[in-house]
Amino acid sequence: MSEKAYEVAHIEDLDRFPVDDEGLLWRPVRRRLGIAAFGTNAYTAERGDERVIEEHSEEDGHEELYFVASGHATFTLGDEEIDAPAGTFVYAEPGTKRGAVAVEPETTVLAMGAKPGVPHEISGWENIFVSFGHLRNGNEEQGREAMNAALAEKPDAWQGHYNAACFESLTMDREAAFAHLKRAVELDEKAREYAHGDKDFDWLRDDPEFPA
Amino acid sequence: MSGTAKLDDMLIALGGGGKTAFVRTHFGISAFGVNAFAADEGENLVSEHDELGERAGKHEELYFVSSGNATFTVNGDEIDAPAGTFVFVRDPAAKRSAVARETGTAVVIVGGKPGEAFTPSAWERNAPALAYFGSKEYDKALEAFEQLLAETPDDASVLYNLACAESLTGKRREAIDHLKRSLEVDASFGELAAEDSDFDPIRNDPDFASAVAGKSDAGGTSS
Repeated sequence: MSEKAYEVAHIEDLDRFPVDDEGLLWRPVRRRLGIAAFGTNAYTAERGDERVIEEHSEEDGHEELYFVASGHATFTLGDEEIDAPAGTFVYAEPGTKRGAVAVEPETTVLAMGAKPGVPHEISGWENIFVSFGHLRNGNEEQGREAMNAALAEKPDAWQGHYNAACFESLTMDREAAFAHLKRAVELDEKAREYAHGDKDFDWLRDDPEFPA
Repeated sequence: MSGTAKLDDMLIALGGGGKTAFVRTHFGISAFGVNAFAADEGENLVSEHDELGERAGKHEELYFVSSGNATFTVNGDEIDAPAGTFVFVRDPAAKRSAVARETGTAVVIVGGKPGEAFTPSAWERNAPALAYFGSKEYDKALEAFEQLLAETPDDASVLYNLACAESLTGKRREAIDHLKRSLEVDASFGELAAEDSDFDPIRNDPDFASAVAGKSDAGGTSS
């Protein structure tokens, strides 16, 4: 990361990483600009009838503020439904269920967040999200680079090897997938349980080497 | 509390052109700083500042131009910033400012200090109360600063501004007491007090003169 006094980017220039098969795009802002003190990302729904903020509750204690940067969304906040055209802020306390669906094409929502009373910590798993984002965009090599960066950051975390196994399974590399999955299970038995229900491994599940 | 608000409905004039939305305090956010400014063509959108001063938070600042068009200047570099532009100022020492190029230009600012839990800057804590001076609602300014003082009893800028409000509402005794206390915490306010027209109603009071003169001298010898 450069240590220039400032960085500039236009929202149109941010990466577009699909986070699911439904058209929700993650647009990394914090990562692009090198922000350290708080979390910031943008999410875009291209078509205008799909989810723009996944329904979740921030059980880990992050306060989150959303700002509709363009388009028009309908938020759910607890039991309330909120009409949110561009220029609307929606604030969700930790634990409050929230989510949003776009009602116009190219709706983009900024999400800003941090945990009160503690220094901001950057998620150690950002490279994993980037990795799968590249893969969904058809950029396998860039995806593998990001996955390797994630593994290098936390070489002994089961989650890194588990996700690397998913990546290799999705790119049809049986040997590499099993090597990472085996390591993940060695590090934590939880990985075995997860692997059983994970559709990323569907084509390998009946293989004798698949962890029973 | 969780909630929602439109940026346009949150903007208030503080005097001196442009409008401000105190987003963080509106929602009661405590983990990071967030405010917004709006201005019309040719007006200052972001006044020139760095993040090193007494009243600044030494924050990283992220500016997002949410509507209109602005020109930012950071360390002398001019940056064209139409709606949708992010300007992230990492270096707290960098001088930054912005001018609106279109009517209805707005910018959302998010801030925090890397490696530290968020605490609001003195500027932000005082700003909503200072707005009452702009609108000449001195009774409301008095009430707002009394409340701030209850939260931060030794904040020199709160004590000073409370003294201003008391001077302007005829509370001579209280004004002098609070001014004295502010100078005990930060003698540099003495210079400001000597010139500040908010103290015109009490300037001829001998206690005012001795408070300001005494503390200015003390500040001079100790620095």
